[in-house]
Amino acid sequence: MKLFLKIILLTAWWLGIGAAHAQITLDITKGVGGSGIPIAIAPFGGNAPVDIAGTVAADLKRTGKFAPQPPEVRADYAVAGQAAPGGSRGYIVQFQLTGAQGGQLLNLSFDVPANQLRAVAHRISDLIYEKLTNEKGLAGTRIAYVAFGGGAYYLVVADADGQNPQVILRSSQPIMSPAWSPDSSRLTYVSFEGRRAQIIVQDIYSGARRSVSAAPGINGAPSWSPDGRRLAFTLSQDGNPEIYALDLASQYPVRLTNSSAIDTEAVWLPDGSIVFTSDRGGSPQLYRIGPGGGSPQRLTFQGDYNARPAVSPDGRYIAMVHRRGSRFYIAVLDAQTRQFRVLTSGGLDESPSFAPNGKTIIYSNGHGVATVSVDGGASQEIALRGNARDAAWAPYGR
Amino acid sequence: MQNLIRVLIAAATLALLASCAATGENTGQEQTTAAQPDATAQPGVTAQPGQEVYSYPYGQAPSLDSYDTFDTRGGGTTAAYAGGQPGGQAVTGMSGGATASADRIVYFSYDSTDIVPESRTIIENNARSLTKNPQIVTQLEGHTDERGSREYNIALGERRANAVRQTMIAMGVSPQQIRVVSFGEERPAAPGQSERSYALNRRVEIIY
Repeated sequence: MKLFLKIILLTAWWLGIGAAHAQITLDITKGVGGSGIPIAIAPFGGNAPVDIAGTVAADLKRTGKFAPQPPEVRADYAVAGQAAPGGSRGYIVQFQLTGAQGGQLLNLSFDVPANQLRAVAHRISDLIYEKLTNEKGLAGTRIAYVAFGGGAYYLVVADADGQNPQVILRSSQPIMSPAWSPDSSRLTYVSFEGRRAQIIVQDIYSGARRSVSAAPGINGAPSWSPDGRRLAFTLSQDGNPEIYALDLASQYPVRLTNSSAIDTEAVWLPDGSIVFTSDRGGSPQLYRIGPGGGSPQRLTFQGDYNARPAVSPDGRYIAMVHRRGSRFYIAVLDAQTRQFRVLTSGGLDESPSFAPNGKTIIYSNGHGVATVSVDGGASQEIALRGNARDAAWAPYGR
Repeated sequence: MQNLIRVLIAAATLALLASCAATGENTGQEQTTAAQPDATAQPGVTAQPGQEVYSYPYGQAPSLDSYDTFDTRGGGTTAAYAGGQPGGQAVTGMSGGATASADRIVYFSYDSTDIVPESRTIIENNARSLTKNPQIVTQLEGHTDERGSREYNIALGERRANAVRQTMIAMGVSPQQIRVVSFGEERPAAPGQSERSYALNRRVEIIY
């Protein structure tokens, strides 16, 4: 199978009188399917109820950097292992990673209960990935998303591959915009329970939840400050949507914007400043304000629709929803180079969220949830049930 | 352009009336099936009639796979109101699980909050009954089609509801009788990704 990736590089775009515009696009096409590092993965012996080798192979393939092969194929690297009943907790899982010359690179074993076998498979994937690329892996991370089906809305936490989907909230009214706390122990989201919008904070381990804002009108788009102590969100209690910051200890929201336009979708940069969507210039564009507000600086100038910013963990990239013609794309702005790139092939793309490695973005495409690489890889669908949307990738956390 | 909008609204209204007539029986069925999942689809959780939200600790949470209520892709949107209504809720009239009737829906063009002349009659009729009955409170619920950013659509839906609100106030309705909620694209009236569905979804529902 041959996968192609397309990078559309928008290097110039301007609009003048009479809507004259110029646009230079550059398409780079290269095969991804055959370009990964070949790694042979043998089925694990030992009758475990989880297909560990298959999970590891799928995890490594999803990174785009590896091309898993059957064990009989000669490859640069090889993985072999076993998962059998035993140990003090139920199962002993052991595996070895060897290089082409037969040198042993990893040799580890785990003593786990049956319900941790999938987690161990992801851990093995990340250990292999980190050993061979010197980068942190994503296989052991989680995502939160909203699913809808049969008249009910579900807030779901799943493994990054979409497996193990655990419902943490079920409601007959819409749920939207989940966002993780920096330690990945809590989620904030918008719930329309009681037929009005509220911002909720929920501890995912205890299930305890509290409403932190239920003002008249919009209570929307919550996001956590980098230190985990504050939330930024949107309230329209003064007549039109404005950005507020709430100190979770004081419970008193402070208004940060002041315009007659729509101001919404605030997210924090690592330095405490805030990027948000505003149509104060006539069309939705991204703006930046300092930690305490102040006069906004416009960040985007490409086209007439840039909304829903997401910031990479290091603050270098800002992903957004970008409209061109009648199609919506995920685009990214490099804050260092000012380069603006469209990453997806477009349609109904929305709700970008960065993986904790800052290199992969998860987003909704109108049918489900997919991922795409910041440097322009092929996008990959994640198989999720129930009209999944609004995915948020958890930080590494605990 | 004006004619196009008129045709669109007429078509939308007819389609809505037709679908109401066609699904009249189903509405009752949805209600009865909606009452059952509370008792059966939640292993380990005691169903509490009237409660509309359940939260679960991660690790003890049910897997999404344990819910068998998922429809095929794009389906099921008409059942968005299924589930128990909390007792003592101030807003009523939606417990039947259906959307508002056609004489309580105001439609909008793409990217627009303009009230077209045809909609003025609908707003006028509702404004008249509100001024006659000052004890009644209405909730104006703004909606958008699914294109674009979800939270930005919440803001656009509120703009539409506020446009209807301003028109009602200009017609003599007291601001105290009007509440505004925007659902953005979260509760589409029509499923699918056709222009026709989008036109039916860009709306403000006048709820009593």
